[in-house]
Amino acid sequence: MEPPVKRNRIDDSINSITIKNQTGIDNLIDSIINSKNQPQIILGDEYYQTLPLIKVFIGHVKQPKDISKLFEILNDKLPLKHLLHLKRVRKKDILLSPVSFLNSDTQESIQEYIERNIPEIKDCFEYFREATVPLTPPLTRKQYMENLRHWSLNFHPNHYIETIMSDQPFKQSEARNHRIYMALTFEIVKWYFNIKSYEDILQSDFSAAVVVDPTINSVVTLAVDNRHEHPLQHPAMLAIDNVAKTQEGGVWKIDIDDTLKEDLKEKFKIQYGTRSGTAESPYLCTGYYVYLLREPCIMCSMGLVHARAKKIFFSLDTPLGGLKSKTKLQCIESLNHRFEVFTGFL
Amino acid sequence: MVDHMRRCLELAAEALALKEVPVGCVFTVNGQIIAESKNSVNATHNPTRHAEINCIDQILEYCRLNNIDYKLYFKNVIVYVTVEPCIMCAAALNNLNIREVVYGCPNDRFGGNTVLDVSNFYEQNYILNGNLLADEAMMLLKEFYKGINPNAPESKVKKDKKV
Repeated sequence: MEPPVKRNRIDDSINSITIKNQTGIDNLIDSIINSKNQPQIILGDEYYQTLPLIKVFIGHVKQPKDISKLFEILNDKLPLKHLLHLKRVRKKDILLSPVSFLNSDTQESIQEYIERNIPEIKDCFEYFREATVPLTPPLTRKQYMENLRHWSLNFHPNHYIETIMSDQPFKQSEARNHRIYMALTFEIVKWYFNIKSYEDILQSDFSAAVVVDPTINSVVTLAVDNRHEHPLQHPAMLAIDNVAKTQEGGVWKIDIDDTLKEDLKEKFKIQYGTRSGTAESPYLCTGYYVYLLREPCIMCSMGLVHARAKKIFFSLDTPLGGLKSKTKLQCIESLNHRFEVFTGFL
Repeated sequence: MVDHMRRCLELAAEALALKEVPVGCVFTVNGQIIAESKNSVNATHNPTRHAEINCIDQILEYCRLNNIDYKLYFKNVIVYVTVEPCIMCAAALNNLNIREVVYGCPNDRFGGNTVLDVSNFYEQNYILNGNLLADEAMMLLKEFYKGINPNAPESKVKKDKKV
């Protein structure tokens, strides 16, 4: 019997990339819908980076019975201040201070410092040494685990962050919806621009947008790239204007072809509709999910912030992208609205 | 220059009278105003309808009707606007290779220079100058934020009042 053929993800090997590029667009759309991989969140760099390190002095204690006394005296005379994520004691080692704490001009050693300033503990140590420890608190369990070899750390996991960063951030049914709505963006681009393969997608810069109201699992609007006619009419900008039209507003007179809308409804078993005009009528894109074939540019990314979209999903990175490639607008704390961004559909 | 900005302030005052965030903007070529507009976010229910975006739309339409290549046309445009363009508008103006932007007061909430310097992401940048009749521009904004945004949902309105 033949062993089962394991399908590689796109980034697994050169071979699989070549095969993938030749994939027909319909097969690609099928694989987006049926993939078992879930979209992955894009958080600020601080969640992925290795923690910055700092040099500290460690004192090795002669008598374990002295530790609790030392602990109290040191917390009083040499408080850790900004390093409260570091445990003070590990076995017979006590964290004394950052190396930078001592005056480098006088070249005083940590031993001399203690003899001069905290004489009551000067005889408690067998020796002093330098160690390297994380400068900032771990934000994720992964960062916590990676840094335990340096020193014992205080860590309070943020359960939401741990779940959202996991392989399975969504319920299965939710994840399937995300994949279907993302598949729609590819189907729209295929219909408008004569796209036949994944290669055609990669060679072009066409994109499309699907806006969904997740509370009623319904497509609010669709939009397709019109940049080549009008340099502001990127899919996200058109989608925002289309949403305005569902709220008795809107400016641009451009819409998705009705035949295509019907085809999409049948093929993907979706429904169209909004809560506009009801008691729960949404304000702008509040609560809406926006699916884009490509990462939105900086203009569109900020447009989506202005529109107060709840979550943004995209498949392909773009060089001038505002949510991953050039900058991450979702991480600017001073903006009055923040959304979550997900990618990883291919 | 000052005359153009005074015209922007008039447009911003018109926006305020319509309960819009008071921002006014004119686009000029060779010192002549070729497009002018004001913020129309509440009227259109479209949060991207800032004064600059409205002006860009006008010029694109003008170029389309007169068979002018907008890419060449925008290269000579100087933009006057009462408030520093937001990140979205700054990116749009960069995309279009605008020559210069002159603004009134800085935009601490969304500014495409103050909050995030968008010029870092583009190879070509427009010249940016600010603080022309800044006090007048700021006065209009203060006037607006004293009142309430008629389109914002209830709870948000209450929060805004506290600030």
